[in-house]
Amino acid sequence: MKYMAMVGDKEFTIEINHEYEILVNGERYEVDFRQLPEGSVYSLLLNHRSLEAVVEERDDLWQVLLRGELYEVQVQDERAYRLARARGTAVSVTGEAVIKSPMPGIIIKVPVAAGDVVKKGDTVVILESMKMENELKAPRDGVVKRVQTQQGASVEKNQVLVIIGDPHEEG
Amino acid sequence: MREDGLLTQKFDKLLIANRGEIAVRILRACHELGIRTVAVYSDADRNALHVRYADEAYHIGPAPARESYLVIEKILDVARRSGAEAVHPGYGFLAERAEFAQACVDAGLVFVGPPVHAIRVMGDKLMARQTVQAAGVPVVPGTEPGLNDEALVAAADQIGYPLLVKAAAGGGGKGMRPVYEPEALPGAIAAARREAEAAFGDGTVYLEKMIEGGRHIEIQLLADAEGNIIYLGERECSLQRRHQKLIEEAPSFVVDEELRRRMGEVAVAAARAVNYVNAGTIEFLLDKDKNFYFLEMNTRLQVEHPVTELVTGVDIVQEQLRIARGRRLRFQQEDIRMRGWAIECRINAEDPYNNYLPSTGQITMSRLPTGPGVRVDTGVFTGYEVTPHYDPMISKLICYGETRAEAILRMRRALEEYRIMGVKTNIPFHQHMMESHRFLSGQFDTKFVEERFSMNEREPADVMEAAILAALVAHRQGQQASQVVAPGERDTSNWKWYSRWERLRR
Repeated sequence: MKYMAMVGDKEFTIEINHEYEILVNGERYEVDFRQLPEGSVYSLLLNHRSLEAVVEERDDLWQVLLRGELYEVQVQDERAYRLARARGTAVSVTGEAVIKSPMPGIIIKVPVAAGDVVKKGDTVVILESMKMENELKAPRDGVVKRVQTQQGASVEKNQVLVIIGDPHEEG
Repeated sequence: MREDGLLTQKFDKLLIANRGEIAVRILRACHELGIRTVAVYSDADRNALHVRYADEAYHIGPAPARESYLVIEKILDVARRSGAEAVHPGYGFLAERAEFAQACVDAGLVFVGPPVHAIRVMGDKLMARQTVQAAGVPVVPGTEPGLNDEALVAAADQIGYPLLVKAAAGGGGKGMRPVYEPEALPGAIAAARREAEAAFGDGTVYLEKMIEGGRHIEIQLLADAEGNIIYLGERECSLQRRHQKLIEEAPSFVVDEELRRRMGEVAVAAARAVNYVNAGTIEFLLDKDKNFYFLEMNTRLQVEHPVTELVTGVDIVQEQLRIARGRRLRFQQEDIRMRGWAIECRINAEDPYNNYLPSTGQITMSRLPTGPGVRVDTGVFTGYEVTPHYDPMISKLICYGETRAEAILRMRRALEEYRIMGVKTNIPFHQHMMESHRFLSGQFDTKFVEERFSMNEREPADVMEAAILAALVAHRQGQQASQVVAPGERDTSNWKWYSRWERLRR
């Protein structure tokens, strides 16, 4: 089986044909891969390099905890990857950026309005939660397409607050 | 009872008016000293460690703290019902509320902390400043609290920029705003008032000159009811973000024996000015020229007390309990020696790669680092729910070494060993800091994290390995799923088999 694994802007082609060896971007690796009885803990010997990781699936992403770092990996088999490409729904830096509430809280301020041009890093929502004011920033340059909340509103985790579109899009 | 509201007497049963790691810390000290313990818990904490570790536990209401852990009558009611003779407030919640300490002593309960009067004076920024100033303790220039916005703006020009807007009832950086130019002042005052109102129910603010390049150094004190006060050396707490401490160490890289003695003696004088008893901390701002200014006194146990415990060998919580039982200090100043180096990393549920946004959810796995020189204080366990109701600290990871370098190497090793899953944590932030040249060379101030430290340059080391692991797990799961739906191969029904397999997997 051939898989495409994406971590941030890095992409790997991983071919798994046997229990004991894989091809990563065409390069051969010897593997010994075990799931431990302790929940989602895995032990991998990769060319004898010993790696212990916790791997869990969440919101269609694989979360991999490895040496303190938490990686979010999107894995698609070759067929799904091609289909997604064809439909244009593969991970991409264009299209809408959706600002969701990362936790329940109260909206203190929405310093942007629909139609505003925003730069990456601009504050688009100030959310109070855990007694702290948290500034939610624009993940990239663009134009505010929609503001779906207002000052004083109580919001749930993952509620969509603001949608940012491409700079060149109209309206 | 003393006139200033101090009650010390022997007790055998103590109520812990707190939750989380600090409640567990206090429980441990009590059990070591043979004191029976009473825990209180909200709806959110029935399964919490502090409930399970305690000898007895009582429900005190819904998850929001203001309906449970902050309700004085409920705590006192549990003390009555359980027959507790003393109360330890921990930190946060009711720990620095004078009316709580007063209510305890009025009910005949020993409050494990300072006299009511000392809490009251040190809890009021203005009174605290005036009191310690009169005792010869240097303070940072600033205004009194309670001025209206126009008066604050006028005073700001006299103090000069940059300055800080601070909440009179504040603490932990809530309601605090730095201001670098006059145009930003009105907005900062409004934001600080709003945050202070939300956090403390009191929007009173004041201004204080900002000492640039300053380091936050604090002195740990112990005082008994007979008036003996000693200092247990300093803690370096400059690594903060939004005035929330993230990393603390003891001793400080910049404090030598001579400066330690001077700061220690000034701290003792400040405590003596309020007839302080029990454990307390004087926070100082130390400028580039080694001048130091009184910031405030924390009239309670501090989050970061373990680093002092590791380098002095003194169990601060046990000492608190002994002092509250009316015993004389077992140490004199010359008995206190700092040996080795200790560093604490606060592990928070937040995303260091996304503006440190708090992360909530269920902890699906918690395996703590262990081994030489490692201590973890935590209230979190597998299945624990990180909610917005309480603070986002998951644990305190504390490492000890003979030297600072050894402590740092241990910390790197321990951070790598830590397995915590279910929420995002700031472990990568700590790893990045432990590799930063500025941190390694001890060259940082209270602005370092916010202004000169970035996670953007961090290149996680094992991207390909993570991709491989995810693909292997996805592959295995896909194969198992396809076996489940393959028809006619097993005589039991596929659904039955699938649920068995699911159970096996857990």
